[in-house]
Amino acid sequence: MRQTIEHTLTPKLQLHLYLLTGLVLVPHVQHLPLVVSFFLFTTLGLRLISLRLPNLQPGRLLLFLLTVAGVFLIYSQHQTLLGKDAGVSLISIMLVLKTLEVRRRRDLYVTIFIAYFVIVTQFLFDQSFLLLIYLLVLLIGHTSLLLDINRVTPAAHFYEPYRQTLWITLQALPIAIILFVMFPRLSHPLWHFGLDGGGTTGLSEQIRPGTISQLIQSSEVAFRVEFKGEPPPRETHYWRGLVLWDTDGTTWFTDPDKPIPILTSRITPTGEPVEYEIYLEPHRKTWLFALDLPAIAPTDSRISSDFLLRLNEPVTQPKQYEALSFTRHLSNGLSPTYRERALSLNNGITDRQRQLVEKWRSSSSSDSELVDQALRYFNTQPFVYTLNPPRYVDNPVEQFLFEDREGFCEHYATAFTQLMRLAGIPARIVIGYQGGEYNRLGDYYTIRQYDAHAWSEVWLEEEGWRRIDPTAAVAPERIHSAIQPNFGSIGAPALFMIDGQGFIGNGLSQLRMLLDTTGLQWRRWVLGYDREQQFSLMRGLGFDFLTAGYWGAVLVALIGLVLALVALQLLRQGRLKQDPVLAIYQRFCRRLAAIGYPRSVHEGPLDYSERISRERPDLASPVQSITTHYIGLRYSEGKKRNLGNFAKQVSRFRPRRVG
Amino acid sequence: MAMASLLVTSWLYRFRRHAHTDGHGGVVIRPRSLYILPTRQGMLLALVLFLMLAGSINYGSNLAYLVTFLLGGIWLSAILHTWRNLLGLEIRPAQVLPVYAGQEARFCLAVTNPSSLRRFGISLRHKKLMGESADLPDEASCLLHLPIRTQHRGRLALPEVSLHTVYPFGLFHAWSYARLDTSCLVYPRPAESGDPPADSCYTSSDDGDRGVGADDFVGLRSYREGDSPRHIDWKALARERGLVSKQFGGDRTERVDLDWDLLPEVDTETRLSLLCRFILQAESQSISYGLRLPDLTIAPGMGERHKQRCLAALATFGE
Repeated sequence: MRQTIEHTLTPKLQLHLYLLTGLVLVPHVQHLPLVVSFFLFTTLGLRLISLRLPNLQPGRLLLFLLTVAGVFLIYSQHQTLLGKDAGVSLISIMLVLKTLEVRRRRDLYVTIFIAYFVIVTQFLFDQSFLLLIYLLVLLIGHTSLLLDINRVTPAAHFYEPYRQTLWITLQALPIAIILFVMFPRLSHPLWHFGLDGGGTTGLSEQIRPGTISQLIQSSEVAFRVEFKGEPPPRETHYWRGLVLWDTDGTTWFTDPDKPIPILTSRITPTGEPVEYEIYLEPHRKTWLFALDLPAIAPTDSRISSDFLLRLNEPVTQPKQYEALSFTRHLSNGLSPTYRERALSLNNGITDRQRQLVEKWRSSSSSDSELVDQALRYFNTQPFVYTLNPPRYVDNPVEQFLFEDREGFCEHYATAFTQLMRLAGIPARIVIGYQGGEYNRLGDYYTIRQYDAHAWSEVWLEEEGWRRIDPTAAVAPERIHSAIQPNFGSIGAPALFMIDGQGFIGNGLSQLRMLLDTTGLQWRRWVLGYDREQQFSLMRGLGFDFLTAGYWGAVLVALIGLVLALVALQLLRQGRLKQDPVLAIYQRFCRRLAAIGYPRSVHEGPLDYSERISRERPDLASPVQSITTHYIGLRYSEGKKRNLGNFAKQVSRFRPRRVG
Repeated sequence: MAMASLLVTSWLYRFRRHAHTDGHGGVVIRPRSLYILPTRQGMLLALVLFLMLAGSINYGSNLAYLVTFLLGGIWLSAILHTWRNLLGLEIRPAQVLPVYAGQEARFCLAVTNPSSLRRFGISLRHKKLMGESADLPDEASCLLHLPIRTQHRGRLALPEVSLHTVYPFGLFHAWSYARLDTSCLVYPRPAESGDPPADSCYTSSDDGDRGVGADDFVGLRSYREGDSPRHIDWKALARERGLVSKQFGGDRTERVDLDWDLLPEVDTETRLSLLCRFILQAESQSISYGLRLPDLTIAPGMGERHKQRCLAALATFGE
């Protein structure tokens, strides 16, 4: 029970610590180079084995060599020690190396603090709700070890420190929430390493046959859209991401040496504006998605002259923005530079293509009619829309148009754009997303990776850029309902998702929507919480008058308030419930003390009563009666107690001093 | 420099708050007498939290913010829990056994947790000297010992002690100073050598045949308190005849008078050390002994209680 403070750590505690350390590192395996993960878990394994066989505990020399090896490993994998990826490798290796030299309390603290840091670094890669829960459990686990070693007697059950730590964590939660809501958010990072590689699925800056059909195997969410007011018809939901102007015959891209400037000329919008809010998942690109012509851009973005929303920094965190678009507009004139760029041809042009285009030209009186001819061609010829097109190697457009005729949207878009240019109509390719799934519960659309799409835009003198989707000519269902990603054989026709097939199908789709709605709320209020949301929330709470100085004061005051409440709660928790009988008896004792007969510490109620009766015979009768009454009430458990008479008796007892 | 720091310390000492006395010899730890500061680990965690915050800001990750703030909240509420862990505890002096000068006095304090809140890792200290630690369940008491090395004979008053805790997480260190009125009786250190003065040391007893002595076994009588355990007839006890003491008699009873004035002319402390040695010697040889000090005379006797009385007289000599 009693002992002087022990400074060594029991093997049981150490085992607990190393298991937690291993669990903290597990989610990092997918972000770290394989060799680094191997190093981490081998070292940890060595540590676990040496718990049982202390001879295997590495000495100073081996520890030094391991450290050198670790640093070398990081440098060879990342070519640097800075930045996110190398930093995470570094801190993970530090953690396992620290476990090798845990001997005293101090080492345990350092290990646990590094583990805290590793926990936080996980969120730089993944911000899912499940990961948060997993890591919170580990955080409480690590903290409970701190609690355990500060006890003198070890806890009877391992969950006892967990429970106490959970309790303290719950008390800390309001503070965390206040800080989370009120801590000022920056719109730009403090410093930038520029080293963070991408790894997420999503659209890239270029397409070649096969890029999008690969992407649509993923059902990851790209973004969610909430329309303000009546949403436009689904077949107009073309979310533009990037415009591709240039091609080498296989790949379409936008030459980085010829960037597209910011929109300066005036565009005349026609039709009704559409207002919407987008909750974008981080895609590590510098563009945002919008419908046709964005008229109002989010504050940190610019509208380029090909009507795209461009950012300075890549989107690495969930982002939300409001935008306003016009679905129809009149552009006034195409500058000679862009006309030339939108007409440039590659060396993949063949005579068959020329003949095809000349045939269309001869039978149409305008560009617009020629476009219709081309679409009819795709519609009437035996083209197949498939998720698993054959691999086109050299001159994919030629091969696709005249040989296999099986393709996905990027095949149709590239072939169509190339033919339009051949016909002298300026054309470009647009990539982005089309469609999405409507969530009835939350009244919004979820756009997933399998909604990725590519289409064309052609320049018509009388109206400007017009969107042409050659895929719609082949498979109009694609535009009206989402694709069901299937992993069938090459050439298998694409299936389309039909909502609510049967009772079970209906229920499943409901459940999916419910989960997605929760996901959206999580993204909106937690992951996407930013500077603008912070300001609007504060405005909503009536705190908008706060300037920076007061802001800090309010923050501190709120935290102080929470701490005061916790302190009050702790004080109340410890207070003993006093027996009301005892309280009345103590009042009786105070009255006797007031006339010079205080009760000594060692004196029992009977002894006290006897003494008073001896010294003050005049008081003997009431004192003895009260004492008997008191003992009867206080030491008779279970009986229903009637305190009224006893209280009255004591109230009537008013002893006086003699003489 | 040392002088200056001493002055500053003693000046600060004047402002030191102590646990509130409860009027019955004990003290209660009230909020105003409680000190709390972060430990080295607490400051290290604060530094780690700032690094985490910098990372969260830089990468703008809201979940990283959330976890950083949660740990920050835990850091802050740890202050309250550490504070509460010590608050309201009652300390009361408990019995301290006498020791010989040079030995460790084991001061003993009873710490009571009068609340329904469990307390953990409560430790007793005096300056840098670590005493014992204990966990205290709700409404429980426990004894904590604090060993203090003694130098001189006499009454060693318990110096100012403090009750400490770093529970729950070792991030904060709360403590409270307490002054308690208790002391340990320190007997003189027994002299290493020396024999009792020879003359008038042993006196024959008139009724040596029947009295107490050490030479011949004369019979049995029922046990009386104070009889030496080595005179108990253990075999009789084993035969379930109760506690019976063997009586020894002889031609002469051994009795020694330990007289201050008969000791060689040395300083007081040496004389007390010598007397201490003689008492222990006589006790171990079962010789009856009396003690004569300039201001006190103790009639001859024997046994643990007599020994303690004599040693206490030596310890407090001249007070």
